[in-house]
Amino acid sequence: EKWAATHAKHPPTRLALHHFDATYSVQLGKLWPSVRVAMLSERKYGALLNNFCHDAVLVDLQAKGCRDFITNREEDAMPSLEQNSETQAQDESSDVSLKKSDIDGRQINLSPNIKCLVFPRGDVTRFKPARPDAYGLLSYYLMDAASVLPCLALDVQEGHNVLDLCAAPGGKTLSLLQTQSIRFLCVNDTSVSRTMRLRKVLHSYVPKQFLTDEKLRITSFDGTKWGDIERSTFDRVLVDVPCTTDRHSLTEDDNNIFNKIRVGERRRLPQLQLELLLAGIEAACPGGEILYSTCTLSQNQNQGVVEQAICLARENHGIQLEAVSLRPLTQMFRNTFHFAPGLHLGEMVIPHLAANFGPIYMCKLKRLT
Amino acid sequence: HQSTSQPNHEVSPVTTKVVPGLSLRSLIDMGFTDTQAKQIFESVSSVRGGSAAKHILSTLTVLFVLGLNPSSVQKLLEKCPELYTVKEAQLQQRISNLRKLGLVEGSLQRMVAHYPKILTVPVKTVKNVVAFLKERCLFTSQQASDILRDSPAVVLENLDQLEYKFQYVYFRMGVKQSEMVKFRLFRFPLDEVRCRHIFLERRGFYQTPDKKGQTTIINPKLDSILNNDLDTFLTHVAQATAEEFDVFQKLLAREWKEEELQQGKIEAE
Ligand SMILES: C[S@@+](CC[C@H](N)C(=O)[O-])C[C@H]1O[C@@H](n2cnc3c(N)ncnc32)[C@H](O)[C@@H]1O
Repeated sequence: EKWAATHAKHPPTRLALHHFDATYSVQLGKLWPSVRVAMLSERKYGALLNNFCHDAVLVDLQAKGCRDFITNREEDAMPSLEQNSETQAQDESSDVSLKKSDIDGRQINLSPNIKCLVFPRGDVTRFKPARPDAYGLLSYYLMDAASVLPCLALDVQEGHNVLDLCAAPGGKTLSLLQTQSIRFLCVNDTSVSRTMRLRKVLHSYVPKQFLTDEKLRITSFDGTKWGDIERSTFDRVLVDVPCTTDRHSLTEDDNNIFNKIRVGERRRLPQLQLELLLAGIEAACPGGEILYSTCTLSQNQNQGVVEQAICLARENHGIQLEAVSLRPLTQMFRNTFHFAPGLHLGEMVIPHLAANFGPIYMCKLKRLT
Repeated sequence: HQSTSQPNHEVSPVTTKVVPGLSLRSLIDMGFTDTQAKQIFESVSSVRGGSAAKHILSTLTVLFVLGLNPSSVQKLLEKCPELYTVKEAQLQQRISNLRKLGLVEGSLQRMVAHYPKILTVPVKTVKNVVAFLKERCLFTSQQASDILRDSPAVVLENLDQLEYKFQYVYFRMGVKQSEMVKFRLFRFPLDEVRCRHIFLERRGFYQTPDKKGQTTIINPKLDSILNNDLDTFLTHVAQATAEEFDVFQKLLAREWKEEELQQGKIEAE
């Protein structure tokens, strides 16, 4: 290749690193070196247990030394990893006045059916690929264990209508389905090829009788247009947006958003994220809840987008929103994940070598009107 | 029990007979204490075959002539009993070669006392390593002899490994020869150097200099990477916890293993 030399000189992974060094060293300060080395080293997985599978793998996995971090929390067994939990009120910068709902300190509902196994802190053992049972269903799905948190935070309850706006390849959809309490689930992803993958995933994990038209709809629409199709419909909406996928961008040159030819696409991300979140807000019914999540550390793509969405929902659509504190959730799981301290809006799992999950940002909004 | 003055039955009179002129008495006459003499006697007998004993007197003489005292002689022989089997002429050659390579009096004795194995290494091997350091790594003669003095074990290292270590530190870390010598790079195993370096690099504290030798951050000195115990290195240089470094070592070892496998696969194709 003619451009091989220049290509090698500025590989996208390198450009991503430069970019992150510049922005995250400011944003995370002293935490950045720790997060940096973790993101540049091998990540940890969690095994989302498939309740539809007939093989009893839980016992096997436990025998290998892992535990379900959701039901088996050892909350008091270890000292808190969190540094300061009282810095919430620091930020008055925006004109968005946020009412914090007062569930702080209260325990939150966790679906008893979502189970995710992880190896202990500091243990770098890998999971073997899952094997199918007699019916061809796989016993577990390997994913970033922190990706389960947005699904738990969404707090799906019996009889809910749920929308998963950007769903492929389907890890979070699968987690949501494990709850077995959803009445109707809409699964969408604009990419046709990724939606195909999502279908495959669902068929390798969920029996056909749970994937019927009465229970599930899979579409490939542009999610930003959802507000035009189905307004005020869903009890719960998951908006897991495309982002700079920090870990991927640092380690894989293929399909990397920091590739020079994708500069425009990268710059437009916050706008796309904002539009998707607004569409998700419109799709939720009054009283319904929306969970916004990303796998980037970027303030612009995280808090920045949520702040703007709250503003625009009020100004353009007359929708009042309230940010729901996820502090009870982070308290529960502070022994499994490192959470960034003192975010004024939402919560973020930051990677750490001993608990190399994330980054995952999540923010929960409740639609009041 | 038997009194201690009685000869140990392992040091049988047979051994004494094989070494004409060597007796506890004669060792004591040379200046060794009773205990030292006994220890030497024992270690001579533990070396297999008669050849050990054949050269003991000349070995002792050479070491004394070098200026070492009985106590250090006894200690170094304990560390390296192979020396009993080296011919006098070879010992002489090896010592004079070291002198020729620039090891001055004092340094030479200290080196022999600390690393007696150096006298078991053929002149040719030592010369090869020094030539390698000068020709392949562009160290000056003085630097090469400093390396030999401070890290004599280099003479027994695999030259490919040595070259890899040099190139790693020179190109990847951007460290010049003079620093390598000053901070005694060759005393440290390659993996330890690489592990600390990559840890710093991934934390954002170390950069490979560009073609002009420039970096956008100030790299920590080789000295602070090598010559600090782990705790000091972690708190003051890497600003990390022991837990992080511990996990990092495990992950890096696995990365290296997988790279090697990958390399092996490519070469097999
Ligand atoms: C972070 S991924 C979702 C991961 C998924 N929720 C999971 O847990 O497996 C973001 C997804 O958004 C999709 N996407 C991008 N633009 C979109 C749009 N305008 N509408 C809907 N989906 C979109 C991408 O195709 C991508 O699959």
